[in-house]
Amino acid sequence: MDNCKYSQPFEEPLSLKTVDEEANRCLLCLDAPCSQDCPAGTDPAKFIRSVRFLNFMGAAETVRENNPLGAICARVCPTERYCQKGCSRSGIDRPIEIGKIQQFVTDYENAHGMKILKKSKANGKKVAIVGAGPAGLTAGATLVKLGYKAEIYEASEKAGGYLRYGIPEYRLSDEIVDSEIKRIEDVGVKIHLGVKVDQKKLDELKANYDAVVLALGSNKGKILPMFEKNAKVVTAVDFLAEIKAKKGAVKLPDQVLVIGGGDVAMDTVTTLKLLGVKQVSDVVYETFEEFKASKKELQGAQKLGVSILDGYIPEKVEGGIVSFKHRYKESRLSIAADLIILAVGQFTDLNGITDLTIEKGEGKDNGKIFLAGDIAHGEKTVVYAVRTGKEVAYKIDNFLEGK
Amino acid sequence: MVNKDLSITFLGVKFPNPFCLSASPVGNCYDMCAKAYDVGWGGVVFKTIGFFIADEVSPRFDKIGKESTPFIGFKNMEQIAEHPLEDNLRDIRNLKKKYPHQVLIASIMGANEKEWEDLARLATEAGADMLELNFSCPQMTSHAMGSDVGSSPELCQKYCTAVRRGSKLPFMAKMTPNITDMVPVAKACLDGGADGIAAINTVKSICSLDLEKHIGMPIVDGKSSISGYSGKAVKPIALRFMQQLKQAIPDVQISGIGGIETWVDAAEFILLGAKTLQVTTGIMEYGYRIVEDMKNGLMHYMEEQGVDHLEDLVGLANKNIIPAEQLDRDYKVYPSIDLDKCIGCGRCVISCYDGAHQAMEWDKETRKPKCNHDKCVGCLLCGHVCPVGAISKGEIEFKKGRQGNRKKEDIIL
Repeated sequence: MDNCKYSQPFEEPLSLKTVDEEANRCLLCLDAPCSQDCPAGTDPAKFIRSVRFLNFMGAAETVRENNPLGAICARVCPTERYCQKGCSRSGIDRPIEIGKIQQFVTDYENAHGMKILKKSKANGKKVAIVGAGPAGLTAGATLVKLGYKAEIYEASEKAGGYLRYGIPEYRLSDEIVDSEIKRIEDVGVKIHLGVKVDQKKLDELKANYDAVVLALGSNKGKILPMFEKNAKVVTAVDFLAEIKAKKGAVKLPDQVLVIGGGDVAMDTVTTLKLLGVKQVSDVVYETFEEFKASKKELQGAQKLGVSILDGYIPEKVEGGIVSFKHRYKESRLSIAADLIILAVGQFTDLNGITDLTIEKGEGKDNGKIFLAGDIAHGEKTVVYAVRTGKEVAYKIDNFLEGK
Repeated sequence: MVNKDLSITFLGVKFPNPFCLSASPVGNCYDMCAKAYDVGWGGVVFKTIGFFIADEVSPRFDKIGKESTPFIGFKNMEQIAEHPLEDNLRDIRNLKKKYPHQVLIASIMGANEKEWEDLARLATEAGADMLELNFSCPQMTSHAMGSDVGSSPELCQKYCTAVRRGSKLPFMAKMTPNITDMVPVAKACLDGGADGIAAINTVKSICSLDLEKHIGMPIVDGKSSISGYSGKAVKPIALRFMQQLKQAIPDVQISGIGGIETWVDAAEFILLGAKTLQVTTGIMEYGYRIVEDMKNGLMHYMEEQGVDHLEDLVGLANKNIIPAEQLDRDYKVYPSIDLDKCIGCGRCVISCYDGAHQAMEWDKETRKPKCNHDKCVGCLLCGHVCPVGAISKGEIEFKKGRQGNRKKEDIIL
């Protein structure tokens, strides 16, 4: 199967020439809306201004000092929901492509071997972090910056969490994930791979560290009861992980049905089309007016030929044939598929940890245990994981330093 | 974040960094200068003060753009300060009180020796660290002042001597570029007691016309005037004057002015001998905040150049600007075309045919250019017009019988 489309970035990155043009579209406005709308606290107005005035290194400092995963966020963030939402340029034509400029800036940083992340003089205290996804990695980099020793325990063979095992290659390559993680390791964060943390291990961490961050993520895909034990059914989480690990070299059938309408569903349908699957149908609970996924991803999927059917809930499944009915109108449909992929939500596998209870996907800090990422309060996106990763580091600093 | 010492000593005064507001609308009152210091400017040249109080027209600016750039050159009709002298002196006093570590330079302009001497004394008493003599405003309503004075070495020297009588502070004379050779004026000023030179003030201009009304812009009740042109477009002219001053008077200390917006512009002025830098047009368009990227970018440049003191960069390029008759004319460089980068627009072919030597050939089928070395003179116009940077300097060829015992690889391209 032709997997090269899957591995190639969807869009061309900006060049020195085109980044100049894009930065010149920026109106350099007063009290810039973009800089008030990033969950991770990015200041796009400042780094775009630096690009405009040819200070690419300064731009890289602005991005990286605020966000240890700046090159990743540049690629995966649904910017139209955040920084680009209030862009003044929309009053003329369309918002500035902030993610693309940030990508240029972080590529420049890489090309020039800049080392911007810093660690402070050790304060003698150490923190264990469970989970090397975006929240755990950000927490580690931030703690080291504050003078803590930070060690991450990751169950998988490689670090990165959803960045590594979830986001498709065409949006985020392994190479970028590797280089971002290396920056964080270079600044002193130690990552232990293949360590599954259960309650016993957690007790050990609690005994040996001054604080513990749980950044477990929501690493398991949900299966609706009617699809349980159906051989044709997989979760989107497992599907995307397998495709990414095998770089797209997976044999897929001609007819695939996806159920779900979030960003994970959009990644799934887009991946299927890029891998050459002929018929990809996506049935979504929400109607288009209520849609959860980013508009850009939705339109991208439709452009690739995915049929998206909105407002339907599954009623019945027999083997590969699923029947749906519309939530508001008198309409039913039935779709036959060789593979059914469920992108209907995720949950956290606690692996026997009893110190933490999760309700509606979120838990609470408990003694010296602090939460970050999906299980902390907030949206379940990479940029929110970065935000909570930073927040948890400062929370721990307050806790341990009594600030 | 990178951190380098940008401080520099100019005319005996230590500047925390070389970036200053120039005497102009951007440093017109206490609040403006205070904001500039707060944002990080190293110094301020307060808008020129004098006994003359300006009476301004409305509107008073114009601009010229090219293609998608709205603002490459800027025309300004403002003269010197419009507030009463006492108010300006009070602002200078208060600024110095609030910002003792940043540099405050009083720009002054008199109409005769007594006024120059008095202004020098008053500015000194108000607490200025340095004076700048405005011999160069091209839009004064009095011909006893401004660039009419700055074109006359005799008047400049006389007024410098008067200022020296009125003050012991270091002072620089600000030059007009509306003159063929700036050197005699600069020398006269130094002979008259000036410690350094500031260059350049604005270039006399008409920026654009209203084609319906047949009037220059801006229109003031149906008429307009010639006045000073500034911004990015004048940078090449300013850099030329830096070089000519440094060449004629090697130990002259210069404050460079003219189209500085980025750290790159700043570095160019410094490499050609400027020790401090003054900015107006960039601020009028973008605000005081542009200093942040100028400072940070300059620090990164110092880091790359491996220098710890800004001083070490001053004038490094002067020796590499030489008279045209001394340039090596023994070789030519052919363009090297990266066909993978080439997008097949053919602009190089058009420019080579119509503006150069008809050497760039066009393959209609593949839409790719090819350089015919028999016709190519190595002017590299093609490289300047290529929209994707696919054309660079390539192979060197010595002109017939001109190589001697030199090697191609010794040629610095």
